[in-house]
Amino acid sequence: MDFIVEGFIKAVGLLINGDSSTWSAVIATLKVSVCSLIISTAAGLPCGFAVGYFDFKGKKQLRTVLDTLLALPTVFIGLVVYAFISRQGPLGEFGLLFTLPGIVIGLTILAFPVVTVITASTIEGIDPELKLTLVSLGAGKRHILFTCLWEVRYGILTAIVNAYGRVSTEVGIAMMIGGNIKYHTRTITTAIALETNKGMFADGIALGLVLITIAFIVNLSLSFLRKQ
Amino acid sequence: MTRDPSIYHLKNIRHYYGQKKVLGIDHLDIRTGSITGLMGPNGSGKSTLLKILAFALKPTEGRIFYKGREESGFSPEVRLRVTLMTQKPYLLKRTVFDNIIYGLKIRNDHQNLEERVKEALSKVGLDFQTFSQRKWHQLSGGEAQRVALAARLILKPEVLLLDEPIAGVDAKSAELIRKAALKARDDWGTTLVIAGHDLQWLYSITENQVSIFNGNLFPTGIETIITGPFDKTGDPRFVKKPANGQSLLLKAPGQNEENALIRKIRIESLDQPFTDGINRLSGHIAAMLLEKESTHVLVTALVQDLSFVLRLAPDQVGSLGLYPGKSITLGFDPEDVEWF
Repeated sequence: MDFIVEGFIKAVGLLINGDSSTWSAVIATLKVSVCSLIISTAAGLPCGFAVGYFDFKGKKQLRTVLDTLLALPTVFIGLVVYAFISRQGPLGEFGLLFTLPGIVIGLTILAFPVVTVITASTIEGIDPELKLTLVSLGAGKRHILFTCLWEVRYGILTAIVNAYGRVSTEVGIAMMIGGNIKYHTRTITTAIALETNKGMFADGIALGLVLITIAFIVNLSLSFLRKQ
Repeated sequence: MTRDPSIYHLKNIRHYYGQKKVLGIDHLDIRTGSITGLMGPNGSGKSTLLKILAFALKPTEGRIFYKGREESGFSPEVRLRVTLMTQKPYLLKRTVFDNIIYGLKIRNDHQNLEERVKEALSKVGLDFQTFSQRKWHQLSGGEAQRVALAARLILKPEVLLLDEPIAGVDAKSAELIRKAALKARDDWGTTLVIAGHDLQWLYSITENQVSIFNGNLFPTGIETIITGPFDKTGDPRFVKKPANGQSLLLKAPGQNEENALIRKIRIESLDQPFTDGINRLSGHIAAMLLEKESTHVLVTALVQDLSFVLRLAPDQVGSLGLYPGKSITLGFDPEDVEWF
């Protein structure tokens, strides 16, 4: 039990004193998670709106595929992306393996179905009276689209926060594609895995605290926005 | 050139949900500046008709003329002149003020908003200081209904369509909604079409009434309609048996006709006893209300679960000594039945 307490005390020291390897992992995590979140949101929001709002042939099948993608194992995404960006893969020439952009690709694939499915479900849950109310007040197509999105803003925020939770805590993709290279592609999660294996609990706990703090800030921001 | 007195003219309107026909109106005229009551049971097609009148729903078949011009494409110009308040009006997830100005913003009308919101809220009996900055979830059912009405009144519409505006609201809100709707007609000549179940309230505000049943329109107002199932008798006639052992004989229907409309219903009295061959039914008076325009009295009588409506002159009501709860005998000729 003592080593856990000691770990906590040392962790606070590492963070306060600005340990370079710890902060390098924190910054790498923030970079890949924010980049992948921006790309997956930009692609997932319109896709989710289209899937939720319109009726088209094959919609049910598409929903089944998207729902299945929610449970996609991260090591499988890592494997596929690795195959594509490794030297002999079709994207090998871009030299993305063991780089942060390579991790971003994998995390975007992980987050995209989360944003799409939650957005689609939110749009499907819109009160049918809303569209009729907007039409009866004279709204055209553009007003209907933007007002609908604004009305479900909390649902969309939930989608983004969920996706962020998924990408910031992910370890399989970061490990396989990033290679866990110190000061380069080491993220918080891969660092925790490594430090734990080495018996360096303090470093692991320090990084874990940062991860929890990030999650706390994100959720706090969400509840602040809800109150607004 | 003479001005068309009808703001709406509907011709051969048919609307289907899937295979099911929900509306079949051969002809309907609504006069400019009139207040029309739309009555009928749930699922009769009232809301569908109001959506069509609001240009929010295109009928499967038929033609709609608005101010004499056929509206096939539901142009933005015409949609901006007509507004509908649905049965459960949706308030946007924002403040009362922002809800009320939403329609104006769509019209790019940003002038003097505060003053106009103040005026719209006062029309529905809500205080600007107290309510304008309230969120949508901080309102009671009646207040939300009145805010929704204020959001329509601020547009000064040519046509205001209200779908069961007092369903689930208290008496005070119902009265305020009535006054606000009447003021819209008096101040701006707004044409009103109001659907509802509360006949007393509806008759207190409307000038003419149409009833709708199974998508069929009856322009004469409230009607007595008997629905199936019917039993066949030995002769060509059909019989309907209410639960208490009484029976009604009706002339045979035509093909695909399922509902019977009965118009010439009388109440038996000592002076006018029924002759043989007349359907005689024992029941009691359930409700009586004054028809504003004609000053006739609408008497609703119940025979078990069947409801009969009679339109009587006030002196007839007096001579028969009618009052709610009184037991009476109703009668009508089996041949005085229209099937549809």
